[in-house]
This record gives sequence, C-alpha cells and structure tokens, in this order.
Amino acid sequence: MLHNRIVQFFVLYLCGLVFIFLIKFSFGLSDYVIPGIADIALTAKRIGPVYARAVIESIFIAIIGHILSIILACTIGILGRMHSFMGSFIKTSAYQIQAYPVVAIAPIIFILMGDGFLPRLIITSMICYFPLLLTFVGVFTEPVSDIEHFYSVTNSLSWNLEIRIRAYEHQKKILTVIEGSATLAMVGTIVAEFLSAESGIGYQISIALSQSDMSKVLIALFLIGLSISFYLTILSWGLWGKNARKTKKRLSML
Amino acid sequence: MHIQCKKISYSYNQRHQVFNKISFEFHAPGFHALFGESGVGKSTLARIMSGMIKPDNGTIFNQSDVSRIIYTTNQERFPGWQTIQMHYDSVLPKQTKKDWQHIAHLYGVENCLPLKFDQLSLGQKNRVNLIRYLMQDNPILIMDESLANVDESMRETIILHIKKQFPEKLFIYISHHVREICKFCDQIVVLRSMELSPQTIQIKGQNIYNHTIVDPEQLKENMLEIVHAT
Repeated sequence: MLHNRIVQFFVLYLCGLVFIFLIKFSFGLSDYVIPGIADIALTAKRIGPVYARAVIESIFIAIIGHILSIILACTIGILGRMHSFMGSFIKTSAYQIQAYPVVAIAPIIFILMGDGFLPRLIITSMICYFPLLLTFVGVFTEPVSDIEHFYSVTNSLSWNLEIRIRAYEHQKKILTVIEGSATLAMVGTIVAEFLSAESGIGYQISIALSQSDMSKVLIALFLIGLSISFYLTILSWGLWGKNARKTKKRLSML
Repeated sequence: MHIQCKKISYSYNQRHQVFNKISFEFHAPGFHALFGESGVGKSTLARIMSGMIKPDNGTIFNQSDVSRIIYTTNQERFPGWQTIQMHYDSVLPKQTKKDWQHIAHLYGVENCLPLKFDQLSLGQKNRVNLIRYLMQDNPILIMDESLANVDESMRETIILHIKKQFPEKLFIYISHHVREICKFCDQIVVLRSMELSPQTIQIKGQNIYNHTIVDPEQLKENMLEIVHAT
C-alpha cells in the first residue's frame, strides 16, 4: 500500500496538471506554450531515464546535505547555548550569515570551488540548516527547570547531561524540524544545480527552460515531487515509526 | 547552628513589593515550618533562602555555609528516559542504596521503582522526589509542598521518619495543613501579606516525635494562634 504522503503527492500533481490544462483551454494556448498530454507522454518516454538518474543524483546530494546541516545546526546549537562571549558570538554569526540570501552567496561558492559536488552540497546545507539551527538553539538554550533543578542544586549538572535532558524533552520539536527541513534540502540542491552545475535535475530544468520545453519541466517536477515524497516517507518511518525508540535512544545518548 | 534572615526586602520586577524588611530565624537541627496564605510569597522566600533568587536588600546568614541550602518543590520531574530505580542509581551514592530502598518501602513507593516518573500518581511523584533529596548530605532542606497529594496517615509516617532518621538536619516544611504543622513542627514562621506589620510572626509548635496523642486543647490553641496570625 502506498504511503499517504505519496498518494497526496499524486493528487496534488494531478490537480496541478488539471489547472495547467484549464489555463491552456481557457485561453486557447498553443501546444508550444503548454504541450498536450500526448506530447508530455512522449517526452516522458524519451527523457524519463535521463531525468530519473538526475533526480537520484540530486536526492543523494540533498540527503547528505541534510545530514550535514543537522550536524552543523546541532553543533552550533550546543556551542551557542554557552553564556560566554564565544557562545553569543557563534549564535549571532550564525544568524548574520543566514541573513544573506543563499542565492547571492552561491556565486562566490561557485567561483571559488567550481561547479562540482562540493559546492552543491554546501548550498544545500546552507538552505536547509536555518530552521534546524533556530530549533536547536531554541531547544538547547531553554532550561527544563523542573528536571534540571535537582542536578543544579546538587552540583551534578554537566553540560552533556543538560543537552541530553533538553534534547529528550524537546524531541518532538527536533524530529518535526528534521522532517520539515528535508524538503528544503532538496530545494537547496535544485537551486544550486540550476545556478551552476553540469548535472542533476536542477541543471536539466535550466536546459528545459532555455528550450522553453514545458513537457520536460512538468516531468522534472513529477520526479522531484516523487523523490521528495519517498525521502520524507522513509524519514518519517525512521523518525516516528518503528525506529522511533532507537531515535529516542540515540537522542538520549547525546 | 541556625539560619537567620535579616531585613529581607524583595519586589517582583522591581515593582510589586512582596517582602519589606522581614527578619526571622530558624535554629538547627529541627523540623520547622513556613506557613502562610496562598500567594503570600512562601515559595519566593524559600527560593531567596536557598540562594536561587537574590533579595533586593537584606542578608541570609547560614552558619553551615560550607554546604548550600537545598530547596525542593512538588513541581519537579525525573528525566523521562529513566525509571525511578535507574535514576536513584545514577544520582545517589552506591552506599546509600540500602537506605533509599528502605525509605521507598516505608514511604509506600517500593512498587514505583521499576516505573517511569510519568507513570506515577501525584502523591507517588512527590514521595519519590523527596527521597532523592533526603539522601543528600546538605544539612538544610526546604520542602515546598513536598507531601502534597499524599494521604494524611502517610504524611505523618513520613514526617516522623524524617525527624527520627535525620535528627542532625534542619528541615523547613512549607504546607497548608495547619494541624500537621502545629503537631510536628518546632518553629513556625507565619508569613503575612505586605499590608500587615510585622510581616512574619514566629510561633512555637508541638514538635512531637512519635505517634503519641496530642492534647487536643493545646493543639486547638496552637492552630488558632496560627490562623489569627495569617
């Protein structure tokens, strides 16, 4: 049985197609602007395997970037909870850097690093890490007084115990933002590929755009949506499903 | 040994004053009480005494200043990943294991040891929380509603046990049970609202150490004294 999220994606995609065809027929647009169903099907058959490979490459980068940004946000969250100058500096710097649109910073990354795997990974991480950072900083700086009080008055509250308590108490918040930021990771990868790359689905979309080929764009969107739905499904199984206990255990081991 | 509060003044957010130069003293060892109507500032005063809040003015003199005064409340929780037993094992010294097991049995929470804190009733939560504080070395413990939601006979058992087991310590018990306070506490500091002067009144309790029957007239007189003071 297909997971709800995938079914929801199919419904949503179908609604989008219906909307586009409504526009096409309402305004009498030619097949050159909005192609017909047969044309889309033919294009899918022709470029489907190429796009599928490109999407797999993009989702692979998105997943690695997502994991990296979780580690980065968690580390900055832990360092940022320090009441020292360094803690405050790290926290402020993280917010300041994020204030710049990643699209504006991306050219610097591409100029310095070229258009390979690494710059795409960095941009992906930069785009999806901010909501994670906000959550981790918020969680790790918010005392759980009713639990921490005992450790505090008995002088046994170490920094890792403090993190452990706070992560455990806010695990729902953390897991929700991890799940939510997964979509942003894919967005980040596509943006990076669209801006400057020679492979990946973002790159294929940029080519389709230069050819004004909407069939290709629609197929790319279908594959992107499908791949994100799969990733989110697997992620939610991992975070909330059968493995939730293990995740909880991992969090408690922090 | 004693704990002395001298001319303590405190205002919430520098605006709403709750204490105006209040002074009182608890001698140690002993089982004493801090009594007052709801909202009069008992918990705030207890937090000031334990150093959790800094008063605007005044000093707290604690002769046993090597160790801190510990404050415990009925609002506390245990970490969610541990059972009560696991928690005790992790926070209490190994050599006290027999002691806390005995106390858990005496306080009727022995069956709670394999359970997690969230699975307990309010009364059980308060008792398991109190046990971990009793096992600490600190000579002064402030118990803020620590026996709330515990039935009367069990409360009596616990108080008598504390008095017998830890005769060298100073306990400051915050509770709304006037009868219980009169019966078991030695010094009772009644905290009154800001409008009344003096803001604190010290009353002597019955301070009984066993299940002996107290003279009802004497107890009644004592209770009336407290009620009039508030």
